[in-house]
Amino acid sequence: MNTMTKRLPTFLLATLCLAPLGFAQAPAATPAGAPAAAAPATPTPKPITDADLANAPVPAADARAKGDPDGALTGSASDITVTDTKKGITIGDLANQVGQNKIAINFVWTLVTGFLVMFMQAGFAIVETGLCRAKNANHTMMMNFMVYGVGMLAYWLIGFTIQMGGVGAVANLGSTPVLSGEYTITLFGKPFGLFGMNGLFLMHRGTYDVAVMVLFLFQMVFMDTTTTIVTGSACERWKYAAFIISTFFLGAFTYPIFANWAWGGGWLANLGANFGLGKGYCDFAGSGVVHSVGGVTALAVSMILGPRIGKYTREGKSNAILAHDIVIVLTGCFILAFGWFGFNPGSTLGASGNGALRIGSIATNTMLAGMAGSFGAMLYMWLRYGKPDASMSGNGLLAGLVAITAPSGFVNPVASVIIGLIAGVLVCISVEFIDRILKVDDPVGAISVHGANGLWGVLSIGFFADGKSNYGGSWNGVTGSVTGIFYGDNGGQLVAQLLGIVTLLGFVFTLSFVFNLLVDWMVGQRVSAKSELQGLDLPEMGALGYPEFELKSEV
Amino acid sequence: MILIGILVTLLGFVISVLSLALNSVGARMVVVLLGLAVSLFGIIGVLNKAYLKNAIWKKGVRQG
Repeated sequence: MNTMTKRLPTFLLATLCLAPLGFAQAPAATPAGAPAAAAPATPTPKPITDADLANAPVPAADARAKGDPDGALTGSASDITVTDTKKGITIGDLANQVGQNKIAINFVWTLVTGFLVMFMQAGFAIVETGLCRAKNANHTMMMNFMVYGVGMLAYWLIGFTIQMGGVGAVANLGSTPVLSGEYTITLFGKPFGLFGMNGLFLMHRGTYDVAVMVLFLFQMVFMDTTTTIVTGSACERWKYAAFIISTFFLGAFTYPIFANWAWGGGWLANLGANFGLGKGYCDFAGSGVVHSVGGVTALAVSMILGPRIGKYTREGKSNAILAHDIVIVLTGCFILAFGWFGFNPGSTLGASGNGALRIGSIATNTMLAGMAGSFGAMLYMWLRYGKPDASMSGNGLLAGLVAITAPSGFVNPVASVIIGLIAGVLVCISVEFIDRILKVDDPVGAISVHGANGLWGVLSIGFFADGKSNYGGSWNGVTGSVTGIFYGDNGGQLVAQLLGIVTLLGFVFTLSFVFNLLVDWMVGQRVSAKSELQGLDLPEMGALGYPEFELKSEV
Repeated sequence: MILIGILVTLLGFVISVLSLALNSVGARMVVVLLGLAVSLFGIIGVLNKAYLKNAIWKKGVRQG
């Protein structure tokens, strides 16, 4: 029995891989002494040996001389790397090939989804540019263009180290043992991870490693999404030099610190293991880490900048400043929705392994929530103002996507629709609140779309996580699946989520605010009134976005 | 006022972290919600109010 137990995994592994080669399962043998009329016996596995592998049918050397139009001859046992050509293929070779195939699938999945997320930069760029006035098109587009490079540089220099330098082994990527340097303090008798220390320049302490590179690429494009949120709320009045400094700090410090706490093995992720709060702070793909960090930073910058000239009357009444190209706004929303299929399903960091096939439900949840968000916003605006507003419908789509980002890996389709629908209405109410009550000018609605709905997404896990999303038996080091109070949790998960929300509002906002205040004192955040009235394209960038158009120089 | 706003906002975060010293989920929930309220008050009630006091639209800059 012991021998069988030891051999079984090898047998299953080999059978799984060799099935396409035509190896037949051994016929079921009736155990000695078993009653003849018993139910069909479980087949006794016959271990596959090296000799079986040596006899594996492979296409003859000249079989592909005339090509392989149906693909039947391409890819066979002869493609498995062997360690000793004299011995031929062995069980060990086969097992290594299977392991590498699993990691290869995960590498390709993570990289391709990362490429999709990178393409979201184009969506953000045209959404924001379309929502601003034509006289600021070049400036807004350039901010969105350079945010990619500035953020990436900051993240490569230091940000990745802070975020992931102590994450430990990422199993789906074949483990990343070199990322093992987390700086911790002890608080309430428990370790509090604060920041990572390995990975500077992707060379430090052995981090010149293929798995680390994949992780860096994927995390980098997430960070860049955060930085581009701020350019939307601050557009049409943000001094370009201030934007560069602010973005660098966000990519180097603000984002990575919170991302470490949530994803890099920091204290928020360990609230479950250390303090019994559910599975710790859960944020599957970043409603909090990516979107709320961007949203609260956008709020801080917008407060410091103040509203655009003409946005409010002397009595404080809000004026609508119209978007100059609604066509590219909605096109950008589609690009973003497309990119979100990389954002959320890609956050499994693999398509093979424990729970990785949840990519199916994650992608569908993402799609459904986006749909519900656009419906929620469109219906709200239609009922309240008599017309189905286009830009708010677009923002509703994005709000639904933002809100489902954190729970996408933990909830079912019905919950996804509810979360998205609430997000679609919430974004409209939030835009009105920020515009009319707070009198903070946010030209594209970024604070509401990403900030408010990011927080809603984080919170929703505490309610809607259905306890069915088993990723290898545990999450954040706590056995079991993430479960909200609607599915029987005692409220511990909700407390963990709320702690994440307060950290975003109380810590991340403060850090962003203080740093941007320093930038304001040092170089000034806001352009001159003259430049603003003229439009920022000429004063800040030296060229108009649309040189053949005659543009109004004032509001 | 800005400095006070910053401190109040940060205080909300500190209060919430202190909830981890408690044992009951209910008590932690109450303290975390208190921290959340304090942080929101810091942002909306203090910091934003300080900026609105000197808002550009109150200064008579040419409006549209």
